[in-house]
Amino acid sequence: MQSFSSLKQEFLKNWIKGLQICGSSKKKMDLMEKKDAIKFSADLAMASARKSKTCWSRAIIAKATEPNNTNKSLAEQILGPDEREKMLQKTSWKQSVAAATRCYSSCSWLVRSKKIVKRSRRNVRRALMRRNNGARTVVMADSIAKRLVEKRTKKLKSLVPGGEFIMDEVSLIEETLDYLVALRAQVDVMRLSYTCAAGLVNGK
Amino acid sequence: MNRALLPEMLHCMNNNSAPGNFAGNCTDMTVLERQRDRMKWQHDQIHQQQNQNLNQNQQSYFSGSELISEVFSSATHQAADVQGGFQGLVLGCESMLDGQTVTTRSVKPDPGLENGWPELGKCTEMPNLGCGSLVNGNHGFQMNNSAISRTASCPPAVPAANTTDIKAKEAVLHEKLSSAAGKDSFKKRKADKIPNTKVGVEDDTKEKRIKGNAEEGESKITEQNSTKNNNSNNRESSADTSKENSKANSEVQKPDYIHVRARRGQATDSHSLAERVRREKISERMKYLQDLVPGCNKITSKAGMLDEIINYVQSLQRQVEFLSMKLAAVNPRLDFNNDDLFAKEMFPACSAGFQPIGMSSEMTNSAYLQFNPSQQLVSCCGMEVGANNNSPDLGLRRTISAPVSIPELFLDTSCFTQLQPPATWDTELQNLFNVEFHQGRSTPFPSQPFAGPIEASNLKMEM
Repeated sequence: MQSFSSLKQEFLKNWIKGLQICGSSKKKMDLMEKKDAIKFSADLAMASARKSKTCWSRAIIAKATEPNNTNKSLAEQILGPDEREKMLQKTSWKQSVAAATRCYSSCSWLVRSKKIVKRSRRNVRRALMRRNNGARTVVMADSIAKRLVEKRTKKLKSLVPGGEFIMDEVSLIEETLDYLVALRAQVDVMRLSYTCAAGLVNGK
Repeated sequence: MNRALLPEMLHCMNNNSAPGNFAGNCTDMTVLERQRDRMKWQHDQIHQQQNQNLNQNQQSYFSGSELISEVFSSATHQAADVQGGFQGLVLGCESMLDGQTVTTRSVKPDPGLENGWPELGKCTEMPNLGCGSLVNGNHGFQMNNSAISRTASCPPAVPAANTTDIKAKEAVLHEKLSSAAGKDSFKKRKADKIPNTKVGVEDDTKEKRIKGNAEEGESKITEQNSTKNNNSNNRESSADTSKENSKANSEVQKPDYIHVRARRGQATDSHSLAERVRREKISERMKYLQDLVPGCNKITSKAGMLDEIINYVQSLQRQVEFLSMKLAAVNPRLDFNNDDLFAKEMFPACSAGFQPIGMSSEMTNSAYLQFNPSQQLVSCCGMEVGANNNSPDLGLRRTISAPVSIPELFLDTSCFTQLQPPATWDTELQNLFNVEFHQGRSTPFPSQPFAGPIEASNLKMEM
């Protein structure tokens, strides 16, 4: 893993490049558009700074280069020619992801069977609870803790880009670690550049 | 030699008289039996040189009860053989590793037994079955086995005391070889999860084996005690050096396999072992995350930790959003050329540790920490504003360090009551605006600690 400062530098370089491209593409922008462009370029810069080694960076790039995304051309410009062949590789990944999602949505029987399993489990739990009081508390605590963790894991998956496709908990946590480090670097750099920009504006 | 052996023998006797040990030694029958056979075979040749005085000595020592004497007759028998037996062990280990007979010694081991050793090392199930059948053997055998293992388990004692003997010197060399070789073979077998490796070349290996085998839970305590005794005996006879060598060897060889330990009562089938490994991995990663996420140190439950991590990720993502918003607001055009070049210049300086900035940040941080336990967050902000008046650099730096630290402190002090992400968000906002304010016009807010946040919120409203 890169060190934190080198990651920051890499991010800054990519970000500046992306911002230049964004700024040169369109001249007239309102505030929200500008904000979106900045955020978009920052995210892309972050992802490309991580060099698509991780799941989240690949997910960000894949999302940015999706055909229905309005910023697709921008993203391709930002990512540059060296990223393009990588993106070709990534398209296969993307296709697989898309196939997986399609499969998941089309396979409604899977969802249904899951629901059935869940319902039966609930029934079993209820039966257990009715049967004896001593084991009830244990079962309850156990299941509650498990459910809590499950809920949070699901939420974490939704937060980390590309997290929906990570099935393994260990790799999910690793991804989260990496993503957190990258996010911190991003926030640091953005804050620094903001203070610099604000200082310049105010100094003028 | 006799002097060194005697405590060991005594110890073996005690150990044998302990009833719990019978069950514990059952699993090791096959190995030790082969060992014993070979020893007996070799016994005839070495016995003539050494056995007499030894036997006399030990029989005079141990001539107490009948059962013990019965055990002991064979035990002394073995003890007399310790040297030869040990060399046999050497050969066994070496043949396990190399697959060829070592002919350095005058006494050659039985080829059939030689072949038996690697078999033992390789098969996982076979020795267990053999054990099962052999457990039903006579008690004397089991006792003998423990006696052998004990005597064989302290090989350093033998040659160390017996330096006058030429053969003993030879044995020293062999023993040093064997401590490494035996370690090797032991590791191999352990990696195959064979529970019956009671070769017991060294005390260390034995202890490890005991820990590694959950099946032998019954005999664990007694055996550990006995090994401790053995250790103390060994130390008395000043033979620690080879042990240390073997320890170093084991440390070097550690990363060869995944070390899975099953405590007593834990399952040892492959599924639960894998599950345990997975859980250990997760908890390890969680520990890293704990280090990374502020305010996560005190939370022990997994759900709480995940909560904290989610909050942190969310806050960071919102910060990115917010910062991009602010950047968009500050810059009239999108190309940041000037600013970013400036930032670029600024950035390496910061990362490399620009001296005044680093100093000031440390100062503020320490002040912050001092005020943290007793004071409210707002007053802290006020303090920061006051401190920031000294130099604009400080203010600059403050923005970097503050928002990361503030939420955690907030978390710590106000136990989750007002602690929602928006709250931290607001503090961040205030902080940022403080600095901006401060930079915009360099008039300080010296006496009103609350002025900064209030004005900041006003600003926020305007924005």
